[in-house]
Amino acid sequence: MARDWQPDFEQLVDEHQSMVFSLALRMTGDRGLAEEIAQDVFLELDRHLGRIESPLHALHWLRRVAMSRSADALRRRKVRGMDLWVEMEDGYGARVEERCSPIGVRLEQLLATLPEPQRAALILRYQEDLTPEEIAATLEAPLATVKSHLQRGLKLLRAKAASNLKDYIRTATTG
Amino acid sequence: MDDLERDGLGRDGLESDEFERELKQAFERRPAPPSLKRKLMDRRSRQRTERLHLRKVMWERLAACLVLAALVGGGFEWHQREEQRKGEAARQQVFTALRITNHALNQVKAQLAEHDRDRQE
Repeated sequence: MARDWQPDFEQLVDEHQSMVFSLALRMTGDRGLAEEIAQDVFLELDRHLGRIESPLHALHWLRRVAMSRSADALRRRKVRGMDLWVEMEDGYGARVEERCSPIGVRLEQLLATLPEPQRAALILRYQEDLTPEEIAATLEAPLATVKSHLQRGLKLLRAKAASNLKDYIRTATTG
Repeated sequence: MDDLERDGLGRDGLESDEFERELKQAFERRPAPPSLKRKLMDRRSRQRTERLHLRKVMWERLAACLVLAALVGGGFEWHQREEQRKGEAARQQVFTALRITNHALNQVKAQLAEHDRDRQE
C-alpha cells in the first residue's frame, strides 16, 4: 500500500534539530558532543528514512535514538574516565544564562548531578512533556522503573534545589 | 491530574506546581547551533558520495570477479576439451597401429600356412 506521507529529510532536520540537540546536550552536558550526537542521529534517520511512516513516527524515532546515542556517549566517556558535566558546569552555564532565568540555570546545573536514568526520565518529562508511559516507550524501560526514576529524580532535585537555591537566592539578594 | 501527580510527585501543592513549572521553563528546548544543519548536510553529502563510491567499487569488484570466474571456467573447459581431443587422437592412433599390426600378422600367418603346405607336399 502506498504511503500518503513522504519524508523530507531537510524538513525533518529543521523541525527537530532543536529537540534532538537539547536532549543530547542535557544528557551529556557537552555542547560539542551534543552537536556530534545530533548529527549522528539525523544521519541514522537518513539511512532509515524509508521505514519512517509518519511525522509522529519520525518524532518518536528521533527522541528514542537521541536518548540512546546520548547514553552510549556517556558510557563511552565514563569508560575513558572523563566527567562531561564539568564542561557544562564551567562553560555551558554562561551561555544558557543569556536565555534562561538564573534559577533555571541553577536547576539545569542541578539536573546534571542526578544519576543518568533519573536525568533521562526528568528530561523527557519536563523538556518533552511526555507521560510516564511515553517515557517508558522512548527509553524502552518498564513503566514501573520509569515512574520510580521520575519520583526519585524529582525528589532528589527538589531536595538539592531547596538547599542550593536557598543559598543562591540569599547570595543574589545580598550580593 | 496526570500520572505523576497521582503517583504523589506533585503532592506538595502550590509549591510543587511552582517547582514543576520552573522545571518546565528551565528545561525548554534550546535552539540548535546555526552551524548544525550545514555541518549535517555536508556530512550527509560526503557519506552519500562515499556510499556511491563504495557501491561503484563493489560493482567493479563483482564484475572483475565474474570476468575472472568466466576466464577460469573457460580455460578449464578448453583444457578439458583439449585433453579429450588428444585422448581421442591417441585412441585412433592405437586403433590404426592395431589394424596395421593385425594386417601384418595376418600376412605372416598366411605366409607360414603357405610355407607349411609347401613342406607337406
